[in-house]
Amino acid sequence: MKVTVLLSAGLHPVSGRPCPAAVELQAIRLAHTLGTPELTGLHAGPAADAVRDALGQGLPRLLWLETAVEDDPLAGLVAALATDRPDLILAGRQAQGADDSGLLPYALAKALGLPIIADAVAIEPAGEGAVHVVQALPRGARRRVTVRLPAVVTVHPAAPTALPFAFAAARRGTVERRAGQAALRSGAAIDERPYRKRPKLIAKAAAGASAADRLKAATESAAGGGRLLVDPAPDEAAREIIAHLRELGVLRR
Amino acid sequence: MSAPAVSLVAMLYVLAVIAAVMMGRRVSLWRAGRPMQVDWLKGIQALPKRYLVDVHHVVGRDPFTARMHALTAGGLLAGSGLLLLAPLAGGFRLYWALIALLFAAMLAGGAMVRKRRTPKPARLSGGRFNMLPLLLIGYAAGCFLVALDAASGGWLWLLAWPGLWLAAAGGMGLVLQLDRGPMRHAFAGALHLVAHPRPGRFEGRRETALAPLDLEAPRLGVETPADFTWNRLLGFDACIQCGRCEVACPAFAAGQPLNPKKLIQDLAATIVPGGTNAAYAGSPYPHARAVAGVGGPQQAIIGREAMIHPDTLWSCTTCRACVEECPMMIEHVDAIISLRRHETLECGAVPEKAAPALAELRYADDAQGRPLVARTDFAAGVPLPLISARGEADILLWLGEGAYDMRHGRSLRALLKLLHLAKVDFAVLGPEEKDCGDLARRLGDEATFQRLAGDNIATLARYRFRRILTADPHALHTLRNEYPAFGGHYDVVHHAALLDELVAAGHLAPGALALADVTYHDPCYLGRYNGEVEAPRRLLDRLGLNRVEMERHGKRSMCCGGGGGAPLSDIEGETRIPDIRMGQAAATGAGIVAVACPQCTAMLEGVTGERPEVRDISELVLMAVEAAASPADNRAARQPEPVA
Amino acid sequence: MSTMRLRRDPRTERAAHRIDGTARPRFDLAAAAETTGGRLRRNPRAEVERMLVAGTSRRRLDRSQRSVSTPLHIAAPAETAAAPRLIVIEEPAFLVAVVPDAPGGRLTPHDRQMIGAARLLAEKGGAVLALLAEPCEEIGPAGADRVLLVEASTGYDPEGRSASIAMAVDGLGVRHALFPESVDGGDIARRVAADLGEALFAGAESIAANAVTRASRGRRVEQRRAPPRLISLAADAALPYAGAPREARALQDDPMPTVPTRRAILAAEIIPADPARVPLGEAGFVVSAGNGVTDFDGFRAVAAALGATPGASRVVCDAGLMPRAAQVGASGTVLEATCYFALGIAGAPQHLQGIARCEHVVAVNTDLHAAMIERAGLAIVADAQKVMPALLAALECETETTA
Ligand SMILES: Cc1cc2nc3c(=O)[nH]c(=O)nc-3n(C[C@H](O)[C@H](O)[C@H](O)COP(=O)(O)OP(=O)(O)OC[C@H]3O[C@@H](n4cnc5c(N)ncnc54)[C@H](O)[C@@H]3O)c2cc1C
Ligand code: SF4
Ligand code: SF4
Repeated sequence: MKVTVLLSAGLHPVSGRPCPAAVELQAIRLAHTLGTPELTGLHAGPAADAVRDALGQGLPRLLWLETAVEDDPLAGLVAALATDRPDLILAGRQAQGADDSGLLPYALAKALGLPIIADAVAIEPAGEGAVHVVQALPRGARRRVTVRLPAVVTVHPAAPTALPFAFAAARRGTVERRAGQAALRSGAAIDERPYRKRPKLIAKAAAGASAADRLKAATESAAGGGRLLVDPAPDEAAREIIAHLRELGVLRR
Repeated sequence: MSAPAVSLVAMLYVLAVIAAVMMGRRVSLWRAGRPMQVDWLKGIQALPKRYLVDVHHVVGRDPFTARMHALTAGGLLAGSGLLLLAPLAGGFRLYWALIALLFAAMLAGGAMVRKRRTPKPARLSGGRFNMLPLLLIGYAAGCFLVALDAASGGWLWLLAWPGLWLAAAGGMGLVLQLDRGPMRHAFAGALHLVAHPRPGRFEGRRETALAPLDLEAPRLGVETPADFTWNRLLGFDACIQCGRCEVACPAFAAGQPLNPKKLIQDLAATIVPGGTNAAYAGSPYPHARAVAGVGGPQQAIIGREAMIHPDTLWSCTTCRACVEECPMMIEHVDAIISLRRHETLECGAVPEKAAPALAELRYADDAQGRPLVARTDFAAGVPLPLISARGEADILLWLGEGAYDMRHGRSLRALLKLLHLAKVDFAVLGPEEKDCGDLARRLGDEATFQRLAGDNIATLARYRFRRILTADPHALHTLRNEYPAFGGHYDVVHHAALLDELVAAGHLAPGALALADVTYHDPCYLGRYNGEVEAPRRLLDRLGLNRVEMERHGKRSMCCGGGGGAPLSDIEGETRIPDIRMGQAAATGAGIVAVACPQCTAMLEGVTGERPEVRDISELVLMAVEAAASPADNRAARQPEPVA
Repeated sequence: MSTMRLRRDPRTERAAHRIDGTARPRFDLAAAAETTGGRLRRNPRAEVERMLVAGTSRRRLDRSQRSVSTPLHIAAPAETAAAPRLIVIEEPAFLVAVVPDAPGGRLTPHDRQMIGAARLLAEKGGAVLALLAEPCEEIGPAGADRVLLVEASTGYDPEGRSASIAMAVDGLGVRHALFPESVDGGDIARRVAADLGEALFAGAESIAANAVTRASRGRRVEQRRAPPRLISLAADAALPYAGAPREARALQDDPMPTVPTRRAILAAEIIPADPARVPLGEAGFVVSAGNGVTDFDGFRAVAAALGATPGASRVVCDAGLMPRAAQVGASGTVLEATCYFALGIAGAPQHLQGIARCEHVVAVNTDLHAAMIERAGLAIVADAQKVMPALLAALECETETTA
């Protein structure tokens, strides 16, 4: 099976230094669960420093389409994949360090005319020309989808952790450098400024409570308020806990 | 010469030839190892000193064994050596009398060997070792009788003939075991002393830094025995299975699958093509993980299909207790790190929790991926000058990763306050300080270590300072002993030593503290790695505290379990190392354990239940200084600040 | 408190007292006047109060508009709206579409927040149109003026569904389409964007009529622009609609037809989560036992009854009372749970590291000074051994009454 993993130019969320995106490394590991696929990493961008380290984490070969900073990577990727025709294209569910909208795999699938399945945590062969993709649903639920190949599959952070980094393997892996395609990014100019965290607005009231309750709950502190009960009777404590959990909406009964 | 004497000498020549063959077989095995330049001449010249001083310094910690070894080895070597001169001196009765005396000494030694093994302590090996006292006694007694007969002028011939047989049997037994039995330690040990990979150890140098790895080499670290240098292989053969390392090893004590003695034996067994560890008859790895247990010079050492399970490798805290105790001067930690380097750099086979830490170190220069600017957050208002603002300072304070920890932050705050009180001119690197690389290096990630070391050295080169001060012995060891190989030479001082200096010079005036008894826990990386055991104790004594010692202290102290990435590897055992160490502290009756390392603080603070308080030395000094400053509310100062 | 007060309007007030049926205007001033209707008046004090950021000791105002811009349509203070009137928009100036996940026809909190956000975008005469996969009764009260069924073809067919939604969005000339940035919602949003060949403003973290913002470049940069057509909304970034119910009128009689697709998906099956076995790192609600718990059968029963994933402190795992995989903390699992319920756990720093990302903490501990008590939103100083059976009993009693 031919598998291509799309690698984005990741940035470390704290240091801001180039680093491979975690889910993409997890995607490489998922590819290894499919026996011994013919595995390639594909990156389009001005530099390959960050993605090169993926060679130390289970990727034998990297194809780097060199493009300018202002180029939209999509066109080059589509062209490369259209000629290469892998059976399975794996991507992270969201890049980390660029626009981070998670749209690229979808646009790619559309352009290549391939189906796309999101949020894989496991991939298993399912006979000729198909795979089972296990998708992560919220809170530990799963959906097992059988999809015909070729297909695009994005990988969820709940997938098995990436293979650990082996320096020597990174040194041995090969990087093939090709000229990418120039393609200007489309889209409106977006005002950008340093990120600032906003307080979360949490509707603590359970679904179905009255509108007034919800409004009241929503404007109350998100941090819980810090209530302290000293030496309540066990029954009272139990009632308080249940009421509190219900208010948080975690008690689903 | 009497007939038995002639026969004995002849037999001895035969034995010598057989011994040479046996030793040759072993030597040829070492040749599988990588080449290593050895200064033979210097080594041979230094041998007597290395043996009589350095080895006996270790052996002498157990006086009975020291006497036993002096008698046995002295008698055997001198007696047999003299006997070989018989063709020249065989006519003198005094000569034979001297030989008889030597073998009598050896006989006494042999009896002590026997006594030491009845009943056999757990740390000693059985198997081939069970025969050892008999062989020694047989050979010594036999030679003694023959020599006595010759000395008496043939009067005792009736005893001499059975003596000859006894000597032959004993001698043959000893020689035939030269390649795999206990006697291997004699010649391998002597050669090891001559060709030791760290000759500086015998010249009073601090030889605790790991050797840099050439990252351009075709294969990184040690995969097979052939990847060790030949003198390392020789070193493994020197092991006499005395089990001193086993007794000292914290991982062994905690029931983790590591026993340094067995590890060395396993390594020695892999040297032989198709070698197995079946003949080993000492304590196993506790809760040993199943392995195939076979090896060979070109075969992988680590793995379920090989000789040693990875869990064994990752249980080590790199505390060097084994090295400190080993009378054969074997370097266990070097071997363990070499093997780890291969696992990490070539296979990426690191413990589960270590992988993310190494990744964060690679991309964010901190093992937990915390922002470097946040390192100084602990100061919480206490002024913390940045060196970048001034370019120079008398003392550069290296904060280390402990600064991110709330608990250790308190110790550091105490240190800052003391520095301000003593008007010390100091500054920190702040966001320019990256992890020193200790963790990466102990986990075998030499590539990350070398990058971090290079970055830090480049940063330090931009500033002028006289000394580096740190409260983290791991950083201290790395900066002081390991950065020089990369071009960074610094005068690094531990905070206990500096505080001791400041108090001695009168810059700090601690009052007397009336606290509970204090026991001081030596951090491995300060005590054993750097030999600094006096200053912290002196400092505690200056505070007027009643100091009690744990049984294991100073350079022979026991590890807290926090080094070598062991908390990340988190290999399952029966108990936790810090629990054992805290038990030892509690056994002294002390109410306070004084520590001098963020790792020790974290590990010992993690012990639950009734236990002595854990206080960093800087906190105690600050309490004493504040108590002296305001005797009025002395009592308030005596209450330790509650742990955050 | 609402930020809007009714402004007194003497003319309508008088009109309310007018006695009908007489040629001359006659007023009965004693009669109870109806208070509905009328223009709204700003209540600056309440607005400031609403902007107060809770949980900080210093007074801080959040002017990000999200908390203050409660829909203007609250006809009356919600507290008094005993029988709220239906709000009807006959001739919407434009449409703002929402695509709720609504699993099983029930709105999720995230769906409600999204509808709340849609109301902000629809402020000036627009109507909120819900594109639903199946009928949903809650949709009107939650704030939708119009609904359109975009029927799912049988089985899991995100491609078909997104194609229909794209058709609706395009065909109806929708001004904005909002999606929840949830697992399925985020997927559909991107499919629709790809189908329409348009950009998606993914994972908006604040939303108002004039601007939306989102994080980008590994959360180092905030992007801000006027709301584009396609927006997916992060969780907890907007308040649910809290006004009077909306009409939820069907936009057209027939549901949107499904668009035939290639059907590359051959089969799909849902594997529900079993709280007892969900990996700790993914669990939403974790109840943990520490050294203060002695009855572990009871503890497991409590976890099961609460529908929570059981965890433990290291001491407990070391002692073999809970499996190693259950360990929470620095050397165990770092949780992503919304809520963490700690029974008899002291809260050592290594343990707290494991729950740093948990929004809510509930603690039961005998020690008032335990760090966990300090960390908790609801802290109960009591014996865990006594609280556990009481909890079990209370939960059991509840199921009986509801059954
Ligand atoms: C390197 C390192 C890594 C570590 N990693 C982790 C980790 O990943 N996870 C982890 O959990 N720990 C970890 N620890 C251990 C940690 O430091 C603590 O020892 C541990 O978390 C304490 O667990 P505990 O709170 O259950 O026990 P204790 O500290 O014994 O606390 C028990 C608590 O229960 C309360 N209590 C007692 N009886 C009752 C009762 N009847 N009802 C209610 N409350 C009661 C007590 O007041 C007390 O607060 C680590 C330690 C180290 C050194
Ligand atoms: S390694 Fe050293 S200390 Fe350990 S058993 Fe061998 S000789 Fe003794
Ligand atoms: S360094 Fe310490 S932990 Fe490692 S083997 Fe030696 S004694 Fe054991």
